[in-house]
Amino acid sequence: MLEIDALEFAYGEESMCFELDVAAGEVLSLIGPSGAGKSTLLHLIAGFLEPRAGTIRVAGDSIDGLPPARRPVTIVFQQHNLFPHLDLHTNVALGIDPSLALDATQSAAVAAAFARVGLDGLERRKPGEVSGGQRQRAALARVLVRERKVLLLDEAFAALGPAQREELLELVAGLVRERAMAALLVSHQPRDALLVSARCAYLDRGRIARVAPTRELLDDRDDPALRAYLGSQ
Amino acid sequence: MIPRARSAYPVLALLALAVGAPLVGLFGLGTDIGGRSADWAVWQSAYIRNAFWFSLYQAGLSTLLAVLPAIPIARAFAYHPDFPLRDPLLRLFGVPLVVPSIVAVLGVVSVYGSDGWLPLGRSLYGLNGILIAHVFFNLPLAVRLLLPLWEAIPSPHWQLGEQLGFDGWQRFRHLEWPALREGLPGVMLLVFMLCLTSFAVVLTLGGGPRSTTLEVAIYQSLRFDFAPLRAVVLALLQLGLCLLVAVITLRLQRLPEVEPGLAVHATSAMPRSSRLWLLAVALAAIYVALPLVSLALDAVRGPVAAVLASAAVWRSALYSLAIGLSAAALATLVGYALLRTSSDLARRGSEGRARTIETAASIIYVVPPLVLGTGLFVLLSPHVDVFNWVFPIVIGINTLMGLPFVIRTLGPALRQHRARHDLLCASLDLAGWRRWRRVDWPLLRHAFGLSAALVATLALGDLGVIALFGTPQTTTLPLLLYQQLGAYRVGEAAVTAALLLILCLALFWLLERGLGGRRDA
Repeated sequence: MLEIDALEFAYGEESMCFELDVAAGEVLSLIGPSGAGKSTLLHLIAGFLEPRAGTIRVAGDSIDGLPPARRPVTIVFQQHNLFPHLDLHTNVALGIDPSLALDATQSAAVAAAFARVGLDGLERRKPGEVSGGQRQRAALARVLVRERKVLLLDEAFAALGPAQREELLELVAGLVRERAMAALLVSHQPRDALLVSARCAYLDRGRIARVAPTRELLDDRDDPALRAYLGSQ
Repeated sequence: MIPRARSAYPVLALLALAVGAPLVGLFGLGTDIGGRSADWAVWQSAYIRNAFWFSLYQAGLSTLLAVLPAIPIARAFAYHPDFPLRDPLLRLFGVPLVVPSIVAVLGVVSVYGSDGWLPLGRSLYGLNGILIAHVFFNLPLAVRLLLPLWEAIPSPHWQLGEQLGFDGWQRFRHLEWPALREGLPGVMLLVFMLCLTSFAVVLTLGGGPRSTTLEVAIYQSLRFDFAPLRAVVLALLQLGLCLLVAVITLRLQRLPEVEPGLAVHATSAMPRSSRLWLLAVALAAIYVALPLVSLALDAVRGPVAAVLASAAVWRSALYSLAIGLSAAALATLVGYALLRTSSDLARRGSEGRARTIETAASIIYVVPPLVLGTGLFVLLSPHVDVFNWVFPIVIGINTLMGLPFVIRTLGPALRQHRARHDLLCASLDLAGWRRWRRVDWPLLRHAFGLSAALVATLALGDLGVIALFGTPQTTTLPLLLYQQLGAYRVGEAAVTAALLLILCLALFWLLERGLGGRRDA
């Protein structure tokens, strides 16, 4: 579903190059030390950054040069996913139409998304009036109504406690399977990768150093850089 | 571990006395003037009514004219972080903060006066002139206060806006307006308050009774008409208005920071807009620079040698410097004592008491200097010759005027410093003088330097209380400049104004850089 081919990016003196494929219905975890290029890769796919060379294809079509709004991609950040002055319903509805002129079908889609992420009854609350986990659920509801083929999760659940994080990761895995999306999950918690990803990519110094089955990668004792990153886990 | 919070109480008592005694004097006058009962019917006079409404009218209009154009200008600055002239222009917009009002007035007259580049003739004097000068001061201030609001918009919000396909209007509605709505009322109230209590501008550019504000009417009542009761009524009205604005501002609980050296950072996630917006920036820059450039040219063409050879000029300059430095030293010391106590209280969990102490230090926002001066005049004149007490009174009131600046610049630095280092110092047994020398001073000197520089510059250029109490023997440079303007010695005035401006900028630079050192020190 998502193909990244010789994607190059220069950040000051540092250059980065990425090669990666993600299948429909798959959540691929990206792990690696800070500065390895995980968020940069996500921002290149989302169109926030311009690559120097290379190609990104979604379902076989190149999305190079498309502005962020026209890409079949949606992203969830660690925080600030919602506009604090708007209620949850409006925040989600913005995902369908920024002018908020929703017809009956679209309104029904918003309601269904709220139900699917378990936020029934909280539509009129403002982001400041719900918990961190509920805010991220609302962001996922917007993912649903946007109906994009690629989902990017940039440490989306890092600020949550272990139980809530697990719940939301399971929710994400379910949504990705249901909608046959391709998802990339950036996380510093190996446990997150074990929970939702059959495969895991290890990034180091602007390169994808390895892509392997998650358990195999996390148990690897031979790669010193990977061991240094994972520590004694 | 946390020290007991006591050091500020004597200082607070002194503050209460400094503000309370003049107010008692004011109220006391209501019951007795020279043994006669006061006739309070004076408050119904047309003169007072006019002064009241004109104060509100000019302050409201000045606020709209200064703040509304500041919005697109601040937006243009925010959208073009890599514009090559951005830093010099923002620096230029910081200059009016340290330009004395009377100097700016001369610059305005130089551009828009009868012989100026854009002559408005007689119509300059009155509302037009007041508005031009108020916009000169407050447009750049508003730009600098509004600009950080764009910075405060989280980067993911800009990215979300891009991803959701927001057009310009939707971006403004969902990203920028919520941020503006938070900060705009505070900025407008601050500018309104500054224009409401503006003295030198209205005194020099106001045109007779029709263009007189409460502040200037107080001065005229005391200095020319010898009508103390009328001055008291005017002062009480002014006090009431300021109190009202201060209460509204406090309820908003979002006072903008005022710092001429404010660094503004670019946010890479912001979209770029048409460079047409920069035209608005260019027009504003010309508007701000024109009076200063014109004044400089007038000064060069003026009788430089004669003015610089005048003993009166140098005596006045010396008095002004003494007032500026004394007020700076006192305000910084008093402010530091108050801030230490408030930060102790905050760390002990008494947030409310800590906030009360800092609010008390900003009392001058509520009780304008001329109201204090009037109170002191009323209180002291039966007992002493107030004109012999000019310098202590002027220094005292300028200290009070400078305190809010100390609280706003030194306060955040001190709080952050103590949160980071108090435990470490305690664990290393660093206390007292050793701690001050090794830790506190090196890390806080920039904030101290900036505070002192702001207060010194403000006091050096102040034409407020000194106009009320000044005598030929105790003339400061701003008062001398006002007298030269009044006597139509425009050439001399231009040179004196340039000298005052150079002294202000030099003193600011010396204190900020000399006392404050390099920021990364």
